Amino acid sequence: MSIKKHADHIYIEALLKNDSRVLSKVYERFSPKIVAMVKKNSGCADDAQDIIQETLVTIFHQASEKNFILTCPFDAYFYLLCKRKWLNELKKRGNKRVTIVEDVTSITEEQEQQVEETEIFEQQHQLFELKFKELGQKCQELLKTTFKIKSMEKVAEALGVTYGYARKKKSQCMGQLTKLVKASNEFQQLNSY
Amino acid sequence: MEDVRYITFEKYLNKELTSEEMADFEKQLIANTDFKQEFEIYKALETSLNSTFENEEKETELKATLTNLGKKYIKEETVKKETKVISLFNYKKLLVAASIAVLIGLFVFNNGDPAYSDFANHTNLEFTVRGENDEMRSKAEEAFNTKNYTEALKLITKIGNQDLKDTEIQLYRGICYLELNSYDAAEGLFNKISNGDSAFKYKATWYKALTYLKQEQFEKCKNTLKTIPESTEEYELAQKLLKKL
Repeated sequence: MSIKKHADHIYIEALLKNDSRVLSKVYERFSPKIVAMVKKNSGCADDAQDIIQETLVTIFHQASEKNFILTCPFDAYFYLLCKRKWLNELKKRGNKRVTIVEDVTSITEEQEQQVEETEIFEQQHQLFELKFKELGQKCQELLKTTFKIKSMEKVAEALGVTYGYARKKKSQCMGQLTKLVKASNEFQQLNSY
Repeated sequence: MEDVRYITFEKYLNKELTSEEMADFEKQLIANTDFKQEFEIYKALETSLNSTFENEEKETELKATLTNLGKKYIKEETVKKETKVISLFNYKKLLVAASIAVLIGLFVFNNGDPAYSDFANHTNLEFTVRGENDEMRSKAEEAFNTKNYTEALKLITKIGNQDLKDTEIQLYRGICYLELNSYDAAEGLFNKISNGDSAFKYKATWYKALTYLKQEQFEKCKNTLKTIPESTEEYELAQKLLKKL
């Protein structure tokens, strides 16, 4: 199955390449609408900026890890992601009135699907990050070194342990992390999708 | 026993299993759902952590770019709008020099209405109860006391989520919202506290009044101030503001 890239995929590429010229277009073209939506719904410009930045960083992660391909226009996809993120933020802040004043945006099924994909990716990413921080200091260090250096021989050298020990430790730490993720509520929820 | 399982996962992902071990591995994947589920998590974690750490520096660089662009395209726009009224003055300098605010007050608010900034002197945030997350608490204190309310709000919300009963934290959350002009959120929090029976009951009432003052809803502000009884710490301030209204 070949997936057809939308012309707006340039924005995804700009995130991967940290291309500030193209990224400034994202802010210029798409942010006013989002800022207006946040402000209309008990937020301020700073909130909008945070939401926009967090959303873009999530897309960056998804693109680097999963080779995310944008198949629909960026505008609606991005707007919807930001809107739902803001809705969640409002809920977190304990705001009772969380129905966002609706502006009419028609959304195709395809767009909806891409939005959901990104959202599920983000939830998983956040869950993994959270659980990683629950590991002991030693495990965190070892795993970080492992994924940064790649070669287990060099990892062993850097940590001053034997190759065999480093490998055994790595799988143990990963095993601990696996169990933490498996036991979490968030995972049960994600899994039910 | 279980450690063996993870070593097998590791070997499988590195394609180091012998054909015999491989056959056994695949049999387990089908027969044992727990084995399968753990393997899927293990594999997803491997991909995710790999990508996260590999791209850590790129992420930092990207965030720096985005922060700059955000400042350029989002923040400046708001600053421009707010300075319209007082275009002769540099808005940022105004924020810093609180003392000048009184002067500006004479200029802009020459109708005699008291300004929010004249009364918004917040007591420094100092957590008395220490415990876990000391670092987060110190950061929150620092952010709030240096008037970085966006950052303070983030941290206080995080702390607040862990201990929702802490009224003082909720009060400071409200102050952040007020400073950030999220009036509905601020009012909601102050209302809850002032309707309660905590030590912060009247402090919250005072802040509720300030929330109205900042929005120039002077009648509502007055009515709220009148509910602050003489016996409280806030009474004197409340009277002072009432006189000006």
